Amino acid sequence: MALYKSILVAKVDLKMAMKVRMVKFGLIGIGALGPLMMIGIVALLVYGDPVIGLLILPSISAILAPMLGMIVIIPASMIAANALVGEKEMNTLEPLLSTPLTDRELLLGKLLSSFVPSMALLLGSIVVSEIGTFIILWSVGAEFILIPGIPGLFLLLTAGPTLIVAIVAVMILISGKVKRVYEAYQMSGAIVMVFIIPMMLPMMTMEATGTVDINLVWMWNIITFLITLVLAASTWALAVRRFNRDTMISM
Amino acid sequence: MVIKLDEVVISGLTKNFDDLTAVDHIELNVPKGSIYGLLGPNGAGKSTTIRLLCTLLKPDDGTAYVSGLDIIESPVQVREITGILPEEGNHTLYQTLSGYENLEYFARLYDVPEEEIPERIEELLTFMDLWDRKDDPAGELSTGNRQRLALCRALLHKPKVLLLDEPTAALDPVAAKRVRELILSFSEKYGQTFFINSHNLSEVQRMCDKIAIIDEGKILLSGDTQELRTRFQTSQDFRIRVVDDLEKAGSIAESLDFVTSMKKEADTIVVTIEDPFNNNSNLMQSLLSQGIKLVEFAEEEATLEDLYLDVIKEGGAK
Ligand SMILES: Nc1ncnc2c1ncn2[C@@H]1O[C@H](COP(=O)(O)OP(=O)(O)OP(=O)(O)O)[C@@H](O)[C@H]1O
Ligand SMILES: [Mg+2]
Repeated sequence: MALYKSILVAKVDLKMAMKVRMVKFGLIGIGALGPLMMIGIVALLVYGDPVIGLLILPSISAILAPMLGMIVIIPASMIAANALVGEKEMNTLEPLLSTPLTDRELLLGKLLSSFVPSMALLLGSIVVSEIGTFIILWSVGAEFILIPGIPGLFLLLTAGPTLIVAIVAVMILISGKVKRVYEAYQMSGAIVMVFIIPMMLPMMTMEATGTVDINLVWMWNIITFLITLVLAASTWALAVRRFNRDTMISM
Repeated sequence: MVIKLDEVVISGLTKNFDDLTAVDHIELNVPKGSIYGLLGPNGAGKSTTIRLLCTLLKPDDGTAYVSGLDIIESPVQVREITGILPEEGNHTLYQTLSGYENLEYFARLYDVPEEEIPERIEELLTFMDLWDRKDDPAGELSTGNRQRLALCRALLHKPKVLLLDEPTAALDPVAAKRVRELILSFSEKYGQTFFINSHNLSEVQRMCDKIAIIDEGKILLSGDTQELRTRFQTSQDFRIRVVDDLEKAGSIAESLDFVTSMKKEADTIVVTIEDPFNNNSNLMQSLLSQGIKLVEFAEEEATLEDLYLDVIKEGGAK
């Protein structure tokens, strides 16, 4: 198993993706939705009714974090849908699979090529949210808090990457069964729906008053992380075990 | 341990797709350094055979050895020493990457030493007349150029065995000739073994030392190209010119029972005989024995067509 081979595969994938304007700007567009919503909600609260707004901001900050995570999961599934099925559709899979690449090197390469841009989007959207909300708080002279806050950041930086791995793994499993990228996209839509459920769990902690019990938030964040960890490990193991050149080619 | 002398040894190789047996217990030996042609009609199992050899597909029965390596037991090593031009090779490049980038990527995947990569790519692209197009996206090249680029990709890592699936299909006659010349010159220069799929008879005849004919997954016939094409020929034309009496020569020829037709063309007669394998020496002897002085006695080159049609018909009738 040579790691540099996987990195090579990922690099070339990214290079090709970035040559396509639609992909580049599409990803940035979807990635921008999360921070925009985050900043928009904070702006509404702070400028709309500063007294109540500032009061419930910490709670909001705790439960808005999953929203960022949900929104960057979508590009991950789309990039991953392209990773193997795209090569099938472009007829490049046959020469690629004829090289001495091992299954693991190939799959890790495809994982990296989806993981790296998805993580970049996630980190980017966190940074943009933090800066945007800081400017809003600063403009009204409010006390500075992190939005997303520490529990939210914990969730995004733990469950975010594991969920991306799980989604890529499922897309690899699917790619043995479909021929066309659009079929893979359709499947990816359904999968995202299922896979964001864990991310929504921490949101359930919000009470009718708009406040949250921070201990409960932490508990759910940790549970979510554990669930995604199990998901990632099991789907990835399955993807590696099930991967089969023969079915990839003959389907 | 069995010593495998031939570069590719196919032994009982079988592949099923659901109820269809695409490749049915085939046996072939491809000598080292030869250019071997696998001929057959559409759907005969040629591409499936190549995909089995380069370990893309797993056989349901039997196996094959490439340079002594078992395709089932050592697939990674087999892929290291084979170069492949897939079916419709000109469509298998990364369209948005340049020709150079396509080759650079595969050179690295095939573990060509990093310091040798630029040199190797330049040599191949220059050889294929593609060097000045190296920075163009592959998708913008003509079919012929893309096909040659795909051939470069197959040759990059100096593989011992090249598996080419219809290398000249989709090419115009000039581009096809060029690709054939390139294959021949590589075979001469590096002594690599070429296994070529085709349904183009004249091409196989011109390039391949050995051929096999496959239909419905079964090998119907295999052997030396030259020998097979004369042995299986059903008829053959001879162009004959004589010193004086062309009329006489013509009537002698016509009187022979194995001559099926005789045509006069200015100072030449064209005689068609049946079963040339057994009869071609008889024609000349008959003419000479009756005092005809020959100026020219040219046998038209035998083609694989008769052989092919014959064998396929027999196979199909089963
Ligand atoms: N992935 C697959 N699934 C099901 N059937 C297949 C598959 N690949 C090939 N076949 C069938 O196997 C048979 C042999 O196909 P193959 O592609 O090897 O033929 P071929 O000799 O290369 O033909 P052609 O000259 O048309 O390229 C055909 O009947 C084909 O339909
Ligand atoms: Mg074919």
